[in-house]
Amino acid sequence: MRRFSKEELRHYNGLDGMPAYVAYQGKVYDVSGSFLWQQGLHQATHAAGSDLTAALKQAPHGAELLLRFPIVGILDPNG
Amino acid sequence: MAQVTREMVERAGVNVDQLVELLIKNAAAELTTYYYYTILRVNLIGLQGEGLKEIAETARIEDRNHFEALVPRIYELGGKLPQDMKAFHDISACPPAVLPKDPTDVKAMLTVLVEAERCAVRGYTHICNLTAGKDHRTYDLALAILNEEIEHESWFSEFLGEGPSGHFLRRGETSPFVSKFLK
Repeated sequence: MRRFSKEELRHYNGLDGMPAYVAYQGKVYDVSGSFLWQQGLHQATHAAGSDLTAALKQAPHGAELLLRFPIVGILDPNG
Repeated sequence: MAQVTREMVERAGVNVDQLVELLIKNAAAELTTYYYYTILRVNLIGLQGEGLKEIAETARIEDRNHFEALVPRIYELGGKLPQDMKAFHDISACPPAVLPKDPTDVKAMLTVLVEAERCAVRGYTHICNLTAGKDHRTYDLALAILNEEIEHESWFSEFLGEGPSGHFLRRGETSPFVSKFLK
């Protein structure tokens, strides 16, 4: 499975034809197909291309909504 | 725009541009849900569907009321609705509540309805969390809408067999929480 550094992940921001990827607990998810991630932005507050592990603790939903999406890689903890 | 209003909210530490965007997205969700619920409601027919028609209609009317109540707050804070109706639809905070392929499948209809309400409950909880103790007027509005969305969710959830809603349906009135914003 592909390993992403944080810098590489940042490119997958859902803009200019790029897919929208987000990381959660070390895994990278492709949320490009979600109506709620259009233009790489979720509810005006969260951007694709980032690690949402901390943000999800404050969200009005659990990880179950993110786990529906395909995993495309692993976030390199040292990257 | 209400300049001092916006300034007070900014000074309280709220990102007002972000908040306005959220309010617009939720206004879009309310108006589009009103539209999609119209189609769902007219298809709730037959022995099973007819029993759901009344709550679908109440939720439909109340979602339109939520749109009406949100619009003034958007403009007070310096925002505006998109000129293009299609663009407005596409920025909705919730996915379209589209009629299931088999409109005689009442469980599928209920699933669409309850998922729409759950999205709304999450959305207004998010706005309440962002504005609590900071933007009193938006918080009051979002909380009023949240109260009604929670009731909608519980009605549809009850019909899905997930447990009792714990309360009665409306008795002739609509929007018991939001109506103060519509006067």
